[in-house]
Amino acid sequence: MRRITVNLLIDYAPDHPYHRASVAALHEAAAKTDIPIELRIVPTDTIDAVENLTGASSAVFIGPGTPYRRPEAANEVIRAARERGVPLVAT
Amino acid sequence: MLVEHARNLAGIADASHAEYGPGGRPVIDLLACSLQDQTIAVDLAPGSLLARLYGRTNAVERTTCSYGLVTELQHLANEHGMRTSATDDTGEVRAIERTDHPFFVGTLYQPQLTSAPGAAHPVFTGLLLAAARD
Repeated sequence: MRRITVNLLIDYAPDHPYHRASVAALHEAAAKTDIPIELRIVPTDTIDAVENLTGASSAVFIGPGTPYRRPEAANEVIRAARERGVPLVAT
Repeated sequence: MLVEHARNLAGIADASHAEYGPGGRPVIDLLACSLQDQTIAVDLAPGSLLARLYGRTNAVERTTCSYGLVTELQHLANEHGMRTSATDDTGEVRAIERTDHPFFVGTLYQPQLTSAPGAAHPVFTGLLLAAARD
């Protein structure tokens, strides 16, 4: 099956259990569905062009751990995913 | 997700999230009863995408959230293409989804905390399957 890109918006802290669980859950879903994924961890203060996060064959995961460093950038990604029909989950 | 919805679709241009401090009109605020480190039973709306993903209309989930949609604005979850897809025993919104989108789901709980090797959570398998259909 075609590989998809999952952009995980999260101000990632490797020792945070909920952050680690978010990454693990995506890999567990990839194993279950046999869908190969490229997982990109995207800290909110590194978001530039939302088009790069909402392209074809991509998905967006708005991860846990607010407050985000750049909440407005996260909102722009949410808007782009909504308008472009890109699959998104926010937890 | 609800702040974006409120600002760009519901006409609340100054919609804000109280966690970021005062200012604007908070649509997300501290919950009257925090859900931090709680396990909650949720009812999934029949016919919703979420219920189809789970294959049932109830679930038990873990949550770490202390903020949520303010009580007076619960209607925002059922306007402008959004619908409530889960509630808990308070009757308040615990998950939402868009009806005009292939897969646009937000949860006030953390399904990643109940996912496990060999037992992937349906929210995440659903996300990947939706992207693969793109």
